[in-house]
Amino acid sequence: MQESNREAINDENAVGLASGGDPEAFSYLYEQNVTRIYNYIFYRIGSATDAEDITSRVFYRAFGHINSYVDKGVPFSAWLYRIAHNLIANWHRDNLRRKEVPLEDHLDLPQRIDQPERMLEKNQEMNQLLKAIRRISPDRQQLILLKYLEDLSNAEIALIMGRSEGAIKSLYHRALLALREEMQEITGQSK
Amino acid sequence: MQSGTNQFKNNTIFGLEDKLSRMLKPVSPDPVFLDTLKTKLSHTPSIIIEKSKKGIGFLVLGLGLFTGALTLWIVGRAKKLKKITH
Repeated sequence: MQESNREAINDENAVGLASGGDPEAFSYLYEQNVTRIYNYIFYRIGSATDAEDITSRVFYRAFGHINSYVDKGVPFSAWLYRIAHNLIANWHRDNLRRKEVPLEDHLDLPQRIDQPERMLEKNQEMNQLLKAIRRISPDRQQLILLKYLEDLSNAEIALIMGRSEGAIKSLYHRALLALREEMQEITGQSK
Repeated sequence: MQSGTNQFKNNTIFGLEDKLSRMLKPVSPDPVFLDTLKTKLSHTPSIIIEKSKKGIGFLVLGLGLFTGALTLWIVGRAKKLKKITH
């Protein structure tokens, strides 16, 4: 009986059912979105513990206010990304002087089977890249992460970020230029 | 020589895009965290808690006002009685 109920929930009706208090719809929305929201937060802040904390707060806030959610034809994940974006901004404000946490333990597991020297080189390269990403503006960071982590198209990113596709293209170009500049600065400093 | 070529490639936008797609891979959250959060979310009646807090606030305010008025009335009565007996 429960199984047939579960099958009836899909992307189109899940939000409506969740607003009506359907626990299966909540579960569906949670499972569809939790990993992508966690990844987005994790790459923005670089700490697994804090990423878990902020991910929890995103879902508490979203499900606590799901009755006020207005479906404007954009994916539900767009709303979650917006909440995450705001909570990350608060986190950065509260932790201005917090030290950065290395990410090697969590990233790209296949690296572990590489030669130690190659692994070290890759980790260093990864740290430099992440450092550079976190130095560019929040909007640019969001765009880069949505494009490369989520593999989303410009049109999908435009829906999530509430901008036109043209604006996303232009923002993407500026993001790459800024990123290249930061990378050059970081690699220059490390030499 | 090869490292010089790589450096040049990395300095270009193309090299950067290549680097981003090679290095930015999704990570898997801790399954225990995912299960715990799911359980917590499915057992949290958040809206009801907010309402009950508001109700308690009004009740405390009402009781405070009532107690204050009662105290003033009793003090007034006591003063009046004192005047009459003197």
